[in-house]
Amino acid sequence: MFLRMVRGALFRQKGKMLMIAFTILLGSSLATAMLNVMFDVGDKVNKELKAYGANITVVPKENSVIDDIYQVEGDDEDNIKSAYLKEEELGKIKTIFWAFNIVDFTPFIDSTVSVDGEDVTIVGSWFNHHLSLPTGEELDTGITSLRAWWEITDGKWLDEQKQEDGAMVGTLLAEKLNIKAGDKITVSGKAGKKELTVTGIFDCGADEDEQIYTSLDNAQYLSGTDGLLSSIEVSALTTPDNELARRAAKDPGQLSIADYETWYCTAYVSSICYQIQEVITGSVASPVRQVADSEGAIMEKTELLMILITVLSLVGSALGISNLVTASVMERSNELGLLKAIGAKDGAISILVLTEIMITAIVGGVAGYFVGYGFAQVIGNTVFGSATEMKLMVIPIVSVLIVCVTLIGSIPAIKTLLRMKPAEVLHGR
Amino acid sequence: MERRKMFIRMITASLLRRRSRMFVALLAIAVGATILSGLTMIYYDVPRQMGEQFRNYGANMIFVASAESEGLNTENVEEALSCISDSQKRGVAPYRYETVTVNEQPVIVAGTDIEGAKKTSPYWLVTGEWPSEKGEILIGKKTAELLSVEIDDTIQMTYSAQALENPDQPAETDRSENEDAINMEFTVKGILDTGGNEESYIFMSLEDANELTNGESKIDVVELSLSATQDELNEYVDLISKKVPDITPRLVKRVTQSETTVLTKLQSLVFLVTIVVLLLMMICVATTMMAVVTERRKEVGLRKALGASNKSIILEFIGEGVLLGAVGGLLGSILGFIFAQAISMNVFNSTITFRVLLVPVTIIASMAVVAAACIIPVRSATDVDPAIVLKGE
Amino acid sequence: MSLLELKNVSKIYGSLKALDDVSLKVEEGEWLAIMGPSGSGKSTMMNIISCLDKPSLGEVILDGVDIAKENSKKLTEIRRDKIGLIFQQFHLVNYLTAVENVMVSQYYHSMPDEKEALEALERVGLKERAKHLPSQLSGGEQQRVCIARALINHPEIILADEPTGNLDEANENIVLDLFEQLHNEGTTLIVVTHDPEVAEVAQRTVVLNHGKIAKEVINENFGKKADGKNDK
Repeated sequence: MFLRMVRGALFRQKGKMLMIAFTILLGSSLATAMLNVMFDVGDKVNKELKAYGANITVVPKENSVIDDIYQVEGDDEDNIKSAYLKEEELGKIKTIFWAFNIVDFTPFIDSTVSVDGEDVTIVGSWFNHHLSLPTGEELDTGITSLRAWWEITDGKWLDEQKQEDGAMVGTLLAEKLNIKAGDKITVSGKAGKKELTVTGIFDCGADEDEQIYTSLDNAQYLSGTDGLLSSIEVSALTTPDNELARRAAKDPGQLSIADYETWYCTAYVSSICYQIQEVITGSVASPVRQVADSEGAIMEKTELLMILITVLSLVGSALGISNLVTASVMERSNELGLLKAIGAKDGAISILVLTEIMITAIVGGVAGYFVGYGFAQVIGNTVFGSATEMKLMVIPIVSVLIVCVTLIGSIPAIKTLLRMKPAEVLHGR
Repeated sequence: MERRKMFIRMITASLLRRRSRMFVALLAIAVGATILSGLTMIYYDVPRQMGEQFRNYGANMIFVASAESEGLNTENVEEALSCISDSQKRGVAPYRYETVTVNEQPVIVAGTDIEGAKKTSPYWLVTGEWPSEKGEILIGKKTAELLSVEIDDTIQMTYSAQALENPDQPAETDRSENEDAINMEFTVKGILDTGGNEESYIFMSLEDANELTNGESKIDVVELSLSATQDELNEYVDLISKKVPDITPRLVKRVTQSETTVLTKLQSLVFLVTIVVLLLMMICVATTMMAVVTERRKEVGLRKALGASNKSIILEFIGEGVLLGAVGGLLGSILGFIFAQAISMNVFNSTITFRVLLVPVTIIASMAVVAAACIIPVRSATDVDPAIVLKGE
Repeated sequence: MSLLELKNVSKIYGSLKALDDVSLKVEEGEWLAIMGPSGSGKSTMMNIISCLDKPSLGEVILDGVDIAKENSKKLTEIRRDKIGLIFQQFHLVNYLTAVENVMVSQYYHSMPDEKEALEALERVGLKERAKHLPSQLSGGEQQRVCIARALINHPEIILADEPTGNLDEANENIVLDLFEQLHNEGTTLIVVTHDPEVAEVAQRTVVLNHGKIAKEVINENFGKKADGKNDK
């Protein structure tokens, strides 16, 4: 009989129940969408922030001191610039504990060459390098993505898959030497001479505007440094630094074993640096503070903002649902008063009402989950151009939320109903 | 006149005497309006607030000397700076670079306004203290290692004009051979860690640098951190190049381009989220209103039986809804501001701009949604024969 | 000419004939009772007379107008101007006070006038209760508010559907006394009831059964009984 009454309420009051289900659907889809977006926003924004370039640079140990100063003096003495990283070890970067957080990495080799009698810094690197890693992973990386802010004023990006002897020239240098896209330049280095075709001129508002960029092989050939690298830039998804990370950055050895474990197994920029140093011999990996710090700050703010907006909308939808449940239970005071009049106990009525509402809530909630997931996808695709990852964690959160909210929403209404005297209800007072 | 009085009397009676139901409805509207005004306020404030965060990346514009000019000096820099609105300046730091020798090692010294540098490069990590007095310096980490100096050490720097002219062999230049070489002593106050080129420089105040170079004052470059959109920045570039021909302003593409990309995405994220939340909340408010109004089918039937035309019944309900919407909307705009303020304080540590225009917009939107939500159930109630409504249920 | 005339009226719901070829005349100033068991077509007849519903067949002529042919908007106007309704369930607007409930009727009819509304309440003996909400009034008092509301616009016909159905005897008598007063003032009264006592006090009783008029009784004691009651 109980089931029959529930069924009766559900099917004969289709309109009302549909409306409750619909509101719960809205609430649950809102919660699902917001939670999915919130959990994903960190990764998404992190990827966007990769536009600022690498957040870790790896340089040879000895070189880390001399390099910059020496460059200013003009480097023609190879006895000091002796420290290099090994190209063959590059792949190891993708084997560290946080390998999956390494989005991009690109090697650099720089040396001084002469073009038309002018001493110029030439940098060899990857442009759009296709990498097949021993782990089976495929990766396209290079400065095309790591220097996304370069403005190509003439020509286009060098496609290293198609053009072996290509080069790109900084705008200031191009002006000085009167080089245009499509020109051929003869570059002579310490170890060799080569004719390169200029594919593009770039403008970035920094030192690179006076340099030439070419493929790694060309630069190595020119300076006779086969298989050697002067630096590696690594772009990694990181967790914003906290107090532990700052302590660890000074000296990981100081940490207690438990702290060390936590630190090592969290994607702090310092722990990723530390892990890179472990795999690349003779290297110093350090965070590029300009990028790493700002990234941390922006991600933290964005995540916090999204969390608060999510909380706000969750509270909103919770109030919305409980409100409607209250309104619709009150509406049925006549019917429930009648049940009371014919001898139904308070408990029985409460259970009846709750069962009806719960069934409606489950139907609405499940449908809402899928709708909300759709909304999350729309947001992900429109804003970031990639799908929002489905977080399983959202399902229990939404379920608990909907059940609680529906229950809480029913309580005041049921309380009022129980307080009513059947006679009054039936006489419509 | 009497009729209008009665109209108002009926509406207010309905609102005041059916307190619990009206409270439910008002709560729904207020929540919706709160979210509307709160989120919209945040949406409009995000570019400003987030833009501040992006200033972490440091300078987004630099001044360099134009090719034909004699270089930067205090006057033309001042003139160029006057083109930029003060409220947008987050930091201005002039730099001059000189090569000096310390223990026969060549080192680059950067003279700057230390306070300005602090602001243009907020990501600098200084161990020890920032230099604040004359004769104090900040030393880059790599240089500190190279020279093996620590905090509070004193180092002697030598500047010689000849060393500059003959940059190829500074190390071999014998100091004693330079008659006009200047020696000065500096105290290391802090060690700088940036992960970039700055680690190999030594930073000191512009006055110290000028003194070190024999009182000759010059500026090589000025770094500016401006809180402005890329379009505004481009306008400044055009304006300054026209007004101050000695200076060529350049945008730091890495910072400006990337900021625009990321900021646009962030704003569109908040925009879409706001739209989705608003859409759902509006429907939520509408369904609650519908439930509240549907409950009164009987009353609609009675009014009809008493000879009310459909139009006047709908008008009464809308009147009630509009009043409710206005109160809820007003409540919501206040609460929304409080919410937005709380979020802004928590996330950005700064107050939000109160947008007065949002109050009428919120109120009108709430009134419209509520009125629209009332019409549907009232319409369906007036369409049914009053006899059935009165008999049934 | 009669004030109200039903000519061969039928109302058909699907296969059910709620009213089957009924003809009836009501003269101005008459007090008519309609009786019959449940399902006899009383309510249908009442709905048709009160312009809440239209017959499937036949003519209903009220004050010279065939209301069976009017559209619902026009019906609303006729109802508003010519008919006062009294319901078994009272149907007062629960958030309006007694006087406001009366004024609602004025509002839709012409001009709300609080003084007039208070006078109407005074007539039904509720002057002191004018500011009370329906929930603060007893059943009898609520029904008297209903009566005040029905007569405020001076309708040509007052139509009462089981007016005493929810009332105890004391209140029933009060209501019936009020009806008598109205009758004496010349108001046309049609009372639908299943209570023979209520029907007895009317001038004429029509008994419906299975949608047809089964019996028509003229109350011969009409004047006397009323007088006797008044003496009490």
